[in-house]
Amino acid sequence: MTVAYKSQRIAYAYFALALVLFALQIAVGLWVALQYVVTVPQAVVDAFPFSTARAIHTNLLVLWLLLGFMGATFYLVPEEAERELAWPRLAVVQLVALAATGVTAIVGFLFGWMQGRPLLEIPTPLDFVVVAAALLFLANVGVTLLRARRWNAVQGTLVGGLVFLAVMYLFGMPFYRNLAVDWYYWWWVVHLWVEGAWELVTAAIVAFMLIKLTGVERRIVERWLYVELGLFLFTGIAGTGHHYYWLGAPRAWLWVGGVFSALEPIPILLMLWDTWRATKDGEGSSSGADAREGTLQPRLTWIYIGGMAVLHFVGAGLFGFAHTLPQINYYTHGSQVTTSHGHLAFYGAYALLNLSFFYFAIPRLKGLPGGRYDARLGHWGFWLTSLGVVGMSLAFAVAGVLQTYLERVRGEPYMVAQQPMRFWMLVVFLHGLVVFAGVLATVVHLLTLKPERAVQAVPLPVTGPRRAVGSA
Amino acid sequence: MTDRLARAIFWVGTLASLAVFLAMTVETHRSFDALTHADAIDDRVVAGKRAFERHNCNDCHTILGFGAYYAPDLTRAYKRLGEDGVRRRLEAPEVVFSASYRKMPQQHLTRAEVEDTIAFLRWVSNIENHDWPPQDSANRWKHSTERLLASASMSPAAALVQQEGCLGCHTLGGAGGDTGPRLEWIGGRRDAEWVARYLADPQAVSPGSRMPAFPKLSEGQRLMIGGFLVSLAADRRAP
Repeated sequence: MTVAYKSQRIAYAYFALALVLFALQIAVGLWVALQYVVTVPQAVVDAFPFSTARAIHTNLLVLWLLLGFMGATFYLVPEEAERELAWPRLAVVQLVALAATGVTAIVGFLFGWMQGRPLLEIPTPLDFVVVAAALLFLANVGVTLLRARRWNAVQGTLVGGLVFLAVMYLFGMPFYRNLAVDWYYWWWVVHLWVEGAWELVTAAIVAFMLIKLTGVERRIVERWLYVELGLFLFTGIAGTGHHYYWLGAPRAWLWVGGVFSALEPIPILLMLWDTWRATKDGEGSSSGADAREGTLQPRLTWIYIGGMAVLHFVGAGLFGFAHTLPQINYYTHGSQVTTSHGHLAFYGAYALLNLSFFYFAIPRLKGLPGGRYDARLGHWGFWLTSLGVVGMSLAFAVAGVLQTYLERVRGEPYMVAQQPMRFWMLVVFLHGLVVFAGVLATVVHLLTLKPERAVQAVPLPVTGPRRAVGSA
Repeated sequence: MTDRLARAIFWVGTLASLAVFLAMTVETHRSFDALTHADAIDDRVVAGKRAFERHNCNDCHTILGFGAYYAPDLTRAYKRLGEDGVRRRLEAPEVVFSASYRKMPQQHLTRAEVEDTIAFLRWVSNIENHDWPPQDSANRWKHSTERLLASASMSPAAALVQQEGCLGCHTLGGAGGDTGPRLEWIGGRRDAEWVARYLADPQAVSPGSRMPAFPKLSEGQRLMIGGFLVSLAADRRAP
């Protein structure tokens, strides 16, 4: 099996860079966690403070996830539009521009060149490069689709999500004199990305993968896509209010934010159910099932898709719900409880989405037969990383509950409350080591994907008749 | 479920939420000026916000609960630490946190940057945000000290605090100045002996402090004041 359009191949360069940045992000994350555990000498703190390391950790996350989304788009669009990308070379220029921006930003951070607003630290001149690259990207995708004149819900959702994403970025660019107004629009970028635009992109990519992997009828997938998106946006847009409780905004936000965001787990649950249903349908259909083993193949790709659906629900849905009501959030806001939710949600929803798509697309980009591959190292990668992140999030949660109780409820001073949390930050760090090992395995595996051994060994006549029985 | 119904769910859901969100945005902008005391945002406060961003303070500290969780929240830092407490942390973090297991970087702020940042934090400390954060809630301070203030006339330590004019720089309950840290907050971090040593010679304990020394008090009196501050600290020490 190989890709149908030459320009889809550009996606691989995006995936490869994304994977390298992912490994780098986790390496920096280890150092960030360690600073909670050990006492860092003043000289080191002066030269390379926590703030700089954290800015690098979070910016690498955003950059690699966006590169993954863009690569996935370049893979998906030609296949959906049934024509080559309008300007394949422009996609290369865009990648180079984004990579150069990323390197400049991170080196700049080390020398204190930054805007100093969490997650949006890159200085304004670099913001303009990002905007230019985003415009190139949208133009490239838009013109391809316009020329093709073939519209469907998957494309529409993807492009809608990408335009939404790009427009929201603009709200993070100006300097705001009033801190409360600043944070009000900061969340237009961050919340409306992760609980709006990115959910659209996710829904489109998942729908595309399910159609291709299971052969379930497109109309059914698209129908559920509309329902999921309606619920995502219904709960997600007004749900932004759960960030507006304590920033100097009217009291009505406690109601709006509380009610809408309490409903946010519902669409994620629907997506989980939808994925489960698609796997059942897939197992029953001739193209998705493997009669030899009676399971969906390639197994690891499905483990990723299932893992994404489950951890997306647990991390974003349940851990988010746990502290979204204002009565609880009054005590947990701005504590390690948020970190716990943040790590599991980003991993479950967006890191796993990207990795799932990489496992779907890279075997095809490499032309491996049947989209199959030798998965052994990849299984290690998935389980080490996933169990590591789950354990880390639980340790963050314990630290967060301690902080909430000691500092917020009992009124202990900040550093007094931090003392008993240090042990749990050590537990976070140790899980971080497991995550790092898992990520290295995944990155190496994906970048050196080999054909499946079993397929080569099993002679065709054996599988032929049994496959026919299975699909009857 | 028909295709038509699915599409209807999409459009109705999205547009309804968007309508609520945009209406709330208009309402929020109408309220921001009053709730944040926007009339007090002068050039100094804006310059302070720029300095705050330039030095990336927000990637260690939270402010309004947003940012990184490596260092204390700054929303009410001005009221908690007092002006002098904030200034000393900005000017000489390596001295203030020399004994702490977590350090703050010495970023060599200019004199103007220090004063601008203080002005910014003073403005932030007055934002009306439904009494968040709980650990700095004025209500909590009021409750924890009301009982003790009620018994102040019988407490020799409370009488000393009055007589020596501590409230000229420090706040206690709802009264006092903004120069030094809140008295209840000191008691949460220190013991009576530390306070007694500090009163005798602040420079020896914390070089650069603007706190005057009280050598004329006896050791017993200083310990008494220390014990009084510790008793003010937090709910946990209340009966």
